[in-house]
Amino acid sequence: MTPDGVLAATVRAEWGRLVSLLLAAYRRLDLVEDALGDAVEAAARTWVRDGVPERPAAWLHTVARRRVLDRLRAEAMHTRKEPLLVVDADTAPRREGSMADPGGIVEDDRLRLVLMCCHPALAPEVASALALRLVVGVPTADVARLFLVPEPTMAARITRGKKKIVAAGIPFAMPDAEDLPARMRIVAQTAYLAFTAGYAPGSGPDLLRADLAGEAVGLVRVTSQLRPGEPVLLALLALMLLQHSRRDARVDGHGRLVLLPDQDRTRWHHDEVSEGVELLARVGPSPDPLVESYRLQGLIAAEHALAPTPDATRWDRICEAYDALLGVNPSPAVRLARAVALAERDGPRAGLAGLEGLDDELPASHRVPAVRGELLARLGDVRAATAALDTAIARCANDVERTHLEMRRAALSTKQPRR
Amino acid sequence: MKRYVVLLAYEPAEWARADPSSRQSFVEDHRAFEQYVEARGRCRSSAALADVDTATTLGRGVGDARTVSDGPLGELAEPIGGYYDVELPDLDSAISAARRLPGAYTVEVRPVVDVEGHALA
Repeated sequence: MTPDGVLAATVRAEWGRLVSLLLAAYRRLDLVEDALGDAVEAAARTWVRDGVPERPAAWLHTVARRRVLDRLRAEAMHTRKEPLLVVDADTAPRREGSMADPGGIVEDDRLRLVLMCCHPALAPEVASALALRLVVGVPTADVARLFLVPEPTMAARITRGKKKIVAAGIPFAMPDAEDLPARMRIVAQTAYLAFTAGYAPGSGPDLLRADLAGEAVGLVRVTSQLRPGEPVLLALLALMLLQHSRRDARVDGHGRLVLLPDQDRTRWHHDEVSEGVELLARVGPSPDPLVESYRLQGLIAAEHALAPTPDATRWDRICEAYDALLGVNPSPAVRLARAVALAERDGPRAGLAGLEGLDDELPASHRVPAVRGELLARLGDVRAATAALDTAIARCANDVERTHLEMRRAALSTKQPRR
Repeated sequence: MKRYVVLLAYEPAEWARADPSSRQSFVEDHRAFEQYVEARGRCRSSAALADVDTATTLGRGVGDARTVSDGPLGELAEPIGGYYDVELPDLDSAISAARRLPGAYTVEVRPVVDVEGHALA
């Protein structure tokens, strides 16, 4: 592996651990990220010249630690006192964290880091960004791209989050055992927010930032390793893997959106499908609505992922899962998706009936008229279908999706209206 | 230890309407909060405030330039009805403590800062 390759792999695998170690030792959230960033820069310069060190992570830790100490010394000379991160009693005595400690203490520190970033007192979009940056080591520029904001905006958001953590006393600590399940749910919701941001259509060539959504999968994977068997994490990881497995087939060579039935199924990541299905088998029906919501969405994604052809899709099972999902999450988005599934199982009229009332609840959405247009077209009502698609096109803010809708409308107008 | 001011907001009519048994449960909830705080830190001070219609507000300005008017700072749907000034290990313990307060309250937890050159009581 090239020095750059080793560096990238080390950063990927060890970033969260390094952040945790430095935080436990120095309690300076404002310094740690910069110090590690400097260490990575130094590595990029010197490893090519001097060769890759035997223990790359320990090398980064040593350099970053020196940076932190330099800053602390400079501050001491100016007799400035910066606020310290609150840590718990188990963390406090370990002033000198060392990479030589491979045991459970470091793993606990990583869980402390996850819980600190995914704290309910942080706004969800702040928590997601912090978790990706500090736990997974995603560069700020990429976090910005994921959330479709300019990089300075994201940098300011991350800084604001770090300030709130220190000022409000959000601790780098394990919560009480009774609070842990609720906190794990927040971790799951934070990670899922980042994941779905990667699938929210952007504009221009950045239609899908699915590669970045994969970083959120990494966050759940890490946390799930630290808390094995946590149902909310297992169910979410399954759901994410099953959805994410289709990423390469969702956009064609011209950057156009490819809908599920038209996707090249050989381009799906079948290893991720298998892992998702295995995980789902380990999560039974749950009284927790969040777990159940992830699990049912996972089951739906699994039905799609396991169908060898679009025609072989088990719409009966998908409709059942949507009916159950409606019980735990009766949102308009779920009803819209269920209407599509009903149309596949029972025909377009059933789908149209399923859309009833959604216009009032989602008045700005282009998806309701887009689905209606599609179903009306299947019934042969070209005039009404065209009108619905016109509404959808007028409402659609995304270039790529609008192009797709315009193509659908153009295909309609070449058909003869049925008398 | 971190220092927090815990601000309590509630619909003032609620207390007036409350029957003796629900008043008793308010008192018990406050006691649970206070016990939680004493077990993990300490309570520096606390107060229940009189109704907002007894409040007087002074506008910006120096000395006589300040206008004096009837009523509280800004009209909130749920006015501040009391506060606790506490020391606790971290925000998690402050949140746990606040969960014990009467469910009818909205509670704000605000960290206290040291103002340089001015030792606060």
